[in-house]
Amino acid sequence: MTSGTITDGPALRDPHTPDSRIGHGPDYLHAEHTLRSWFFTTDHKRIALLYLASITAFFVIGAVTAGLVRLALVVPDGQVFTNDTYNKLFTIHGVVMVWFFLIPSIPATFGNFLIPLMIGARDLAFPKLNLASWYVFMTGAFFTLVSVVLGGVDTGWTFYTPLSTAFSNTWVVPALIGVTIVGFSSILTGLNFVVTIHTMRAPGMTWFRLPIFVWTHYATSLIFLLATPVITVALVLLIAERAFHIGVFDPAYGGDPVLFQHLFWFYSHPAVYIMVLPGMGVISEIVPAFAQKKLFGYRFVAYAAIGLASVTFFVWGHHMFVNGQSDLASVAFSVLSFAVAVPSAVKVYNWTATIHKGSLKLDTPMLYAMGYIGLFVLGGLTGLYLATLAINQHVHATYFVVAHFHYIMVGGTVLAFLGGLHFWWPKFTGRMYIEAWGRISAVLIFIGFNVTFFPQFILGYLGMPRRYHVYPAEFQFLNILSSAGSTILAVGYIFPMIYLVYAIWFGKRAPANPWDARGLEWTVASPPPAHNFLTEPQAPKVPYDYPIQARETGRQHS
Amino acid sequence: MSGGTSVGVRLASHFATVEQQKHAAVLGMWAWLLTELLLFAGLFLTALILRLTHPEAVQAAARHLKFWIGAVNTVVLIGSSLTMSGAIQLSRLGWQRGMVRFMLATAALGTLFLALKGYEYYADYHEHMMPFLSDRPYALTDSPPSRLFVNLYYVATGLHGLHLLTGIAILLAMTRQASRPGFLAAHQNRIEIFGLYWHFIDLIWIVAFPTLYVLNR
Ligand code: HEM
Ligand SMILES: [Cu+2]
Repeated sequence: MTSGTITDGPALRDPHTPDSRIGHGPDYLHAEHTLRSWFFTTDHKRIALLYLASITAFFVIGAVTAGLVRLALVVPDGQVFTNDTYNKLFTIHGVVMVWFFLIPSIPATFGNFLIPLMIGARDLAFPKLNLASWYVFMTGAFFTLVSVVLGGVDTGWTFYTPLSTAFSNTWVVPALIGVTIVGFSSILTGLNFVVTIHTMRAPGMTWFRLPIFVWTHYATSLIFLLATPVITVALVLLIAERAFHIGVFDPAYGGDPVLFQHLFWFYSHPAVYIMVLPGMGVISEIVPAFAQKKLFGYRFVAYAAIGLASVTFFVWGHHMFVNGQSDLASVAFSVLSFAVAVPSAVKVYNWTATIHKGSLKLDTPMLYAMGYIGLFVLGGLTGLYLATLAINQHVHATYFVVAHFHYIMVGGTVLAFLGGLHFWWPKFTGRMYIEAWGRISAVLIFIGFNVTFFPQFILGYLGMPRRYHVYPAEFQFLNILSSAGSTILAVGYIFPMIYLVYAIWFGKRAPANPWDARGLEWTVASPPPAHNFLTEPQAPKVPYDYPIQARETGRQHS
Repeated sequence: MSGGTSVGVRLASHFATVEQQKHAAVLGMWAWLLTELLLFAGLFLTALILRLTHPEAVQAAARHLKFWIGAVNTVVLIGSSLTMSGAIQLSRLGWQRGMVRFMLATAALGTLFLALKGYEYYADYHEHMMPFLSDRPYALTDSPPSRLFVNLYYVATGLHGLHLLTGIAILLAMTRQASRPGFLAAHQNRIEIFGLYWHFIDLIWIVAFPTLYVLNR
């Protein structure tokens, strides 16, 4: 893609769609213009943009608090903030990033926008419910923000008892109410996706013709439906415990503080796959498009998504190795955690095999995708270290764990999110961003990320515990390195916010299929018409029908 | 089919066929009920674990539960499921007015359940069996785990009551819509979908009653 010049005028403000391009009535952005038409829309594409704007705002809050945490850690004596403030900062960071950014990030935005287009449907099965889910989300966000404004929470995103029930003097209850409510928006989104994928596929769009993006969202939705209610119960009990002291998590009344950990991780481990599976879907779309090659081992990749979504329910105990759970349980959870690596690895091998001998184009989305694959491998492999009982004794609750999950959640999911944003931005807005800026930011983010988080593996291995801002002076160098990296990362995040928004008004107009990619979403105009398809969509006979075919038997020669 | 008006479902614009629309609605409700089931399962499981770890305390607390009110309420809810099934049958036949009557009966039985439940709570209050009230000393002070059991009882039955209340509200709203002619011609499947939800609330009680009352006597 050539770098954009200022072209034919504002797209969003321009009330008339250029008919040379579409000629069949306005696209979804121009169908109506009032504020009402946005806030009461039932169009899945507009709801996706509502979500996109909201989660971007939360990302900014999360990122600012992260910056402050890194600022505090520049000096070893904890003089930057008080202990209380520091505790509140990392709690807000975790709560906002997990529940208000990562969990809704890809499903509620790209999933919402693309699933109907990819399967050839006019909308999700329940458009009003879809809108309701956004309002539910915002209501939950409101409660959590209230708790922050009132003075914050200091329990960490995990809300462990008895800290959260008996000792914390902060605004735990409103934060918990917020998180409980947000869970319902996840459930509604998941429900809508499951029903849509089951019932709304275009004629001829069989399960094994679906893009992997749809498969991974199907798997994610199953986790939404099966795991979220369990955290809802856990949080309701926690609220009751804190407000009325009902005794469930208090040994004095026959309750058990560890019960909370069980309920929490029974949701929150599967939730890490809520965060990671949609990203895998994005990567599975980007890689074949920029290698111009058929996705290697389509069925394996699809089954691996379902495999991950199933095994993930049986490994929650790996967060509890050192809290006195029985040795037998620990061994079982350890072995099962190793098993999770198998479907994860299947995906990585298939992406690399797709890249192999493809005709590579290193455009911005592909740079993000390649970054994703590398960082996900590091994050996943260190997960195996953590799942090893003996190593876990050593590194539990240290920066090693922090580095592990940031490699997956930031190195993985956030890169996938940004990659997807660049890949589908022309589809969302009808405009191209400036490619050179895209590449620069992608590289900056990759470098900044590694400088920030790789030192944390070493810090953790050397024994620096997480969640403290006072640390031995010999750890200062690595901490400064990490904080320095985070400034590079910040610059890398700020750039796309500028040039992507700039492109909405001033970017070059995007063709329907700027990347020469396969998939039904590329057969409609950019931006798509209000009702998606002007003619009956034709399901492709083979998914990922790119010019270069994957040689899956290994015996053929060209 | 004698006497009925026409029965059907009006096609919403984003579906291709009515069949597809009906299928989506049924699947959606089942998916919702699945999550609800897990929600309640977490609670019942917690109560059962407590029962295993502290059997005497749980029994002492359960002796204060009003077994007969619980039993009568079970019958009342099963009755309401029957009237709901009646409403569904009539809706299929297109007998809109008869259907409305059955729906009102269902709502009445649901309300009866809530009234009895309310009376039960009142009696509990009287017997100092509301340990979460800070200004009202709890009856079984020497048995802390019993306190936890009673609290779980309130969380579980309270959550169930909330579901029932929601159900009654939806039911009444639908009877209002259905009092106008032509409802069944456009929205018959709403009755079917709501029926699933109603039966589910009933089912949750049928699990709650043995777990909380019967098992611990
Ligand atoms: C190959 C698969 C994975 C394995 C075997 C694995 C293993 C583990 C283990 C054993 C721990 C506990 C460490 C401790 O506290 O001592 C852990 C923590 C964590 N993992 Fe993973 N993990 C995997 C994938 C993921 C993914 C995909 C994500 C997120 C997208 C993730 C996010 C987290 C988080 C957030 C924590 C820390 C939770 C906390 O205590 O705050 N992990 N992982
Ligand atoms: Cu885990």
